[in-house]
Amino acid sequence: MLGIIFGVASVITMLSIGEGAKREAIAKYQDLGVNNIIIRDKKMTDEELEEVRAKFSQGLSQEDASVIKEIVPGVVRTASQSEISSEAKYSDKSAKSMVIGITPDYVEMLNYKTARGKFITEDQYQKELKVCVLGAGVAATLFRSEDPIGKMVKIEDQWMEVVGVLKSKTLFTETVGELAARDLNMDVYVPLTTFLGRFSHENQLASEIQQITIQVDGSDKLEEASKVIDEILKRHHYNNEDYSIVVPYELLQQEEKERQIYNFLLGAIAAISLLVGGIGIMNIMLATVMERTREIGIRRAIGARKSDIMSQFVTEAVAISITGGIIGVVLGVTLSLTVTLFTDITTFIQPYSIFIAFGFSVLVGISFGYLPAKNAANLKPIDSIRYE
Amino acid sequence: MDINKIENNPNSHSGIGDHSLIEIKSLSKDYVMGEVEVLALKDINLQIHRNEYVAIMGPSGSGKSTFMNILGCLDTPTTGEYIFNGMDVSSLSDDALSAMRNKEIGFIFQNFNLLPRLNALQNVELPLVYSGIKSEERRERALRALDRVGLSDRIHHKSSEMSGGQRQRVAIARALVTNPGILLADEPTGALDSKTGDEIMVLFDELHKEGNTIILITHEQEIANYAHRTIHIKDGMIHSDNANHQRK
Repeated sequence: MLGIIFGVASVITMLSIGEGAKREAIAKYQDLGVNNIIIRDKKMTDEELEEVRAKFSQGLSQEDASVIKEIVPGVVRTASQSEISSEAKYSDKSAKSMVIGITPDYVEMLNYKTARGKFITEDQYQKELKVCVLGAGVAATLFRSEDPIGKMVKIEDQWMEVVGVLKSKTLFTETVGELAARDLNMDVYVPLTTFLGRFSHENQLASEIQQITIQVDGSDKLEEASKVIDEILKRHHYNNEDYSIVVPYELLQQEEKERQIYNFLLGAIAAISLLVGGIGIMNIMLATVMERTREIGIRRAIGARKSDIMSQFVTEAVAISITGGIIGVVLGVTLSLTVTLFTDITTFIQPYSIFIAFGFSVLVGISFGYLPAKNAANLKPIDSIRYE
Repeated sequence: MDINKIENNPNSHSGIGDHSLIEIKSLSKDYVMGEVEVLALKDINLQIHRNEYVAIMGPSGSGKSTFMNILGCLDTPTTGEYIFNGMDVSSLSDDALSAMRNKEIGFIFQNFNLLPRLNALQNVELPLVYSGIKSEERRERALRALDRVGLSDRIHHKSSEMSGGQRQRVAIARALVTNPGILLADEPTGALDSKTGDEIMVLFDELHKEGNTIILITHEQEIANYAHRTIHIKDGMIHSDNANHQRK
């Protein structure tokens, strides 16, 4: 029975870990935008930058973005952003943050929700107003419990009015392609027009734009769009590869594929466990049949048919496997919850996995109980009664 | 008990034919053991009528066990006929033989052969379970059978909690519960002391008077003397077949 318990428990635990990982991945990619293509300005050393500039590439620019929006099929929106690493200050407090100049389409394309106030508007963008929206972490650090809206925050040497505070975002703990991991809650957003007018990159050779985010109107358009984008940028950048194109959806799918191999492996392990468990039951039952030879003979003598004996023993085998199945389910669920509690591996228990695991245990009972039951039924009554 | 027997058995009204309960014609049984062919029974002819009380005696190797197995539908003859209550059972299917054993044969064994994990009531109910009888009727009939053998106060006891004599009574109750055509007892007192053995044989006498047909297999003359007819088997053939005048 131990094999069944272990087999069922591992099926459930594996499935829940797998499902947890899947959901986590989807959430992560949903943040980046499932229908988005992200073009990043490549991080380069000063020497590499000089070389690329010498070969005529200016790096990512707003012009790239507008050409893409015009030409690439299926594009719904584009948003450009420029970034510098800086500090935001308020009274005596300061917070290290990434200051990001963005175009208004930004908020439509990503899952950014405001906890207070509003995000950058088209109007503010057009008028190059000195406004900013704080990430949740920045607001907490600078303002504690005070309401940040309307207050003035100093960035570099500029005073910006706070018009919005973002809701807290899950930490971006992994590097996705070229998108470096960072704490998004420490970002500060300003209109790109304001940014380009007021802030400047430390390195004079830096590109105008660090990231262009493109949204297409369906994940089926992603492949073609990214090809065309690559063509456009190749031309604009004179064949310099100073950019990288990240398609979160493709990465998600790749991860999905890897996970499938992983799942298959785990499934194989679970299947083997169940098989071992089944063989265990069969051996127990065979021994049981031997021990109860006389009992079987007696039952046959008083009128049990072969089918009566068969169903008796198959039922007993199923009872064993169902008991193992129930214990296995309890163990599997407990194990999944424990894993989530003590590690940062998320698990998600789906009801159907419990049914599957349980169903398998019943199947195992019937299959592996069949042979012993048949042996029992075929014993000759005369011989069995005399068996000691 | 006897009223039930008569009601349930359509052939039991006297006067309808005079056919016997058991008719054995030219019955032979041989089997192969290793490389040897054993002729266990050779051309047996026999009739046993309703309500007879017959003892079958013989030394070991005489074929009496084989004969008992065939009488009890645990085995089938190689040639010849075994006609029970007008029906030829010599070539029945396994399921049909099981049904015969269930309904017409009441076995009583030397070492009782009760199921140790069941109590007395459950043991007695078991043949009715295989008959497909519903649980209320099962319980009722089992209780009556146990009452008949005087064990109403022991119905929830298991084998291990009873004496040899009590166990044999439970076995007898189990044999009676299906209203069988014959009670087939194989050395019923073999595992009992002589006093308890006598009590059991007295019980058999009562059951005989109530209308049951009893076939007794034994090697002990004192036990055979309880029967009204003794058949001796030797070397696979009937050696003698005599009425026991002391019992008529």
